[in-house]
Amino acid sequence: MVELDHSFSTGKPTDYNWDAILDLDRLIPCVQGGKVVERTSPTAAKAEIKVKMGAMSMTFAGTVEVVEQDDAAHRALLKVKSREVGGQGHANADVAIDLNDGGGTIHTAAQITGKAASMGEGVVVSVLDGLIKDFTQRLGQI
Amino acid sequence: MAIPPGTYTLGPGDGTLTVRTGKAGAAAKAGHNLVIEVTRWEASLEVGDGGGSVALTADARSLAVRSGSGGMGALGDEEKASISQSIDDDVLKGGTIAFRSSAVEQAPGGLRVRGDLDLLGATRPVAFDLDTDDDGRLTGSIRFKQSDWGIKPFSALFGTLKVADEVEVDVDAKLPVE
Repeated sequence: MVELDHSFSTGKPTDYNWDAILDLDRLIPCVQGGKVVERTSPTAAKAEIKVKMGAMSMTFAGTVEVVEQDDAAHRALLKVKSREVGGQGHANADVAIDLNDGGGTIHTAAQITGKAASMGEGVVVSVLDGLIKDFTQRLGQI
Repeated sequence: MAIPPGTYTLGPGDGTLTVRTGKAGAAAKAGHNLVIEVTRWEASLEVGDGGGSVALTADARSLAVRSGSGGMGALGDEEKASISQSIDDDVLKGGTIAFRSSAVEQAPGGLRVRGDLDLLGATRPVAFDLDTDDDGRLTGSIRFKQSDWGIKPFSALFGTLKVADEVEVDVDAKLPVE
């Protein structure tokens, strides 16, 4: 299990950010290489992410679901479950997003197995850190 | 062996001009060491009694990935083509590649060459040896850092996987018989 904490600012009001976070059609493409495959409910979607490593890439396909939602505190917990396409690996994560005025914090607890994990925890942490930082920058643009 | 005096023109029909790159960054394990052939280039070599001159130009759009070692999986033709495309689009962008000597000295194994290498409009001095054997085979190698020419090494995976700053360029050619 890898745990990471990030903070972000969007310069936008909390209510605006809250709507954006809960709108999976807007949120999922904020992850580089991420796309919604199918909306399965107002709080869940089938999604996939293609992680490019130069010319090579790995694709993970699975589900993203808002499993907890506190509208008053602007706190949400998203559960990501995915499997490597054409491989044996998994990438699962609990992503807790806590909004404050003009931004918020993200706590990610991820479990990666398979080929990606075989590169070592240090690599997984570095890549996830980069992915989430990039995600927070894109959040400011939606 | 000393190179016989004369003027020689060399190109892909006479040998290979090869770029070798390594990998860096936290996720370096996922990347490949690449062997990239420059498929369009021309060099001229003038050898006189006391020295000579060397000049080379290469087409920045002619780099083709030949092989990759290491990495998370074997590079297929599609990946090789994709890397060649990235070299074109993101790194060299069809810019200038030109070398012109400023001093050439006869050395025991061939020639000692100093000169200026222009990469994408930035010019820096470089030095290397060109060695020859009895069969007229000409070999030389140079290592330099891309960043010294203002080139930002290609990176992916959020900067965790990079092409190493230092690259090696090798020439291995047969001197044309006059």
